[in-house]
Amino acid sequence: MNRKILGFLPFLIFVLLCVFLYQGLFGNPRELQTGRLGQTMPSFNLPDLMDENKRWTEKDLLGEVYLMNVWGTWCPTCIAELGYLTKLREQGVKIVGLYYEQAYDPDFGDHFDMNALRKEVDTMLSRAGNPYQFNILDLERSLALDLGVSGAPETFLVDKKGTILLHHTGDINQRVWRSKFLPALEELQ
Amino acid sequence: MALLLSAAVVNAAEDEYEFKNAEQAQTFKELTLELRCPKCQNQNIADSDAIVAKDLRDKVLTLVHEGNSKQEVIDYMIDRYGYFVHYQPPVTPATIILWVLPVIIVVLGFGFIVFRQKKAAIKQPWSAADDKRLEQLIAQYQRKERQQ
Repeated sequence: MNRKILGFLPFLIFVLLCVFLYQGLFGNPRELQTGRLGQTMPSFNLPDLMDENKRWTEKDLLGEVYLMNVWGTWCPTCIAELGYLTKLREQGVKIVGLYYEQAYDPDFGDHFDMNALRKEVDTMLSRAGNPYQFNILDLERSLALDLGVSGAPETFLVDKKGTILLHHTGDINQRVWRSKFLPALEELQ
Repeated sequence: MALLLSAAVVNAAEDEYEFKNAEQAQTFKELTLELRCPKCQNQNIADSDAIVAKDLRDKVLTLVHEGNSKQEVIDYMIDRYGYFVHYQPPVTPATIILWVLPVIIVVLGFGFIVFRQKKAAIKQPWSAADDKRLEQLIAQYQRKERQQ
């Protein structure tokens, strides 16, 4: 009896190893790469995208649950999710944009014009829907780096005290919203 | 090849950047090879052209210039990008199995070999009863042969 079990042991280990590796094959490595969960919003002092005289800090965002959506007009997936985000805004979700412009970086664009950018953003938002209460302009990508942003679009769910509850990489659609954001929001209530 | 390529990139990067001393240059070089680009599937930040890799390189440079140690820079990055950003996995409850499993497998395998050899080396005692049983079996076999 004992020997039989011992004989099956290698097979058992093999099966367990298969399950372990299979999971690794279909898991999403991007899900793991976030260090800011459970921490408070890093402090920042950045201008508004549409009005350089207006500045935003992390303190302006306290007191309300909100989404911070990292985006740019150069990013096709960001444009694609504007429609769904606008629907969420209509349902009463507060969404703040964190705008970053790739072309501002001399290594990634050849010219940069603030007025042209504002016009482009305006056109884009009137065409695809405007989900944002306002947009914070992060030209140097300093807040993006502090948040652990690796690209766009990415979205953070932040509670009233400024604690980051979720960090989602990729677009938000109905499936993501229902499976990821709704449960987190329900937990808040 | 990949190693050569990344080394070349680092050298190119070094030409662009200036350091106060060789130690800082070395720290910067090691960090850009050891930190993983969070946007790419598997590239270090010295090797990648992604915008985030460039941002991380610049940040590493600033932190090194400010006199931060290698570990301080790594901690800074892990704080933002999670453990994913560093190629050397830390020992945490979740990763302890990765560290311990190879040791367990080697110990078990070695133990198994020793166990088998010891068993094979044991001399089987031969008794009178065994002699009798052998004779019986030979007689039985011979009887069968004759019957055919």
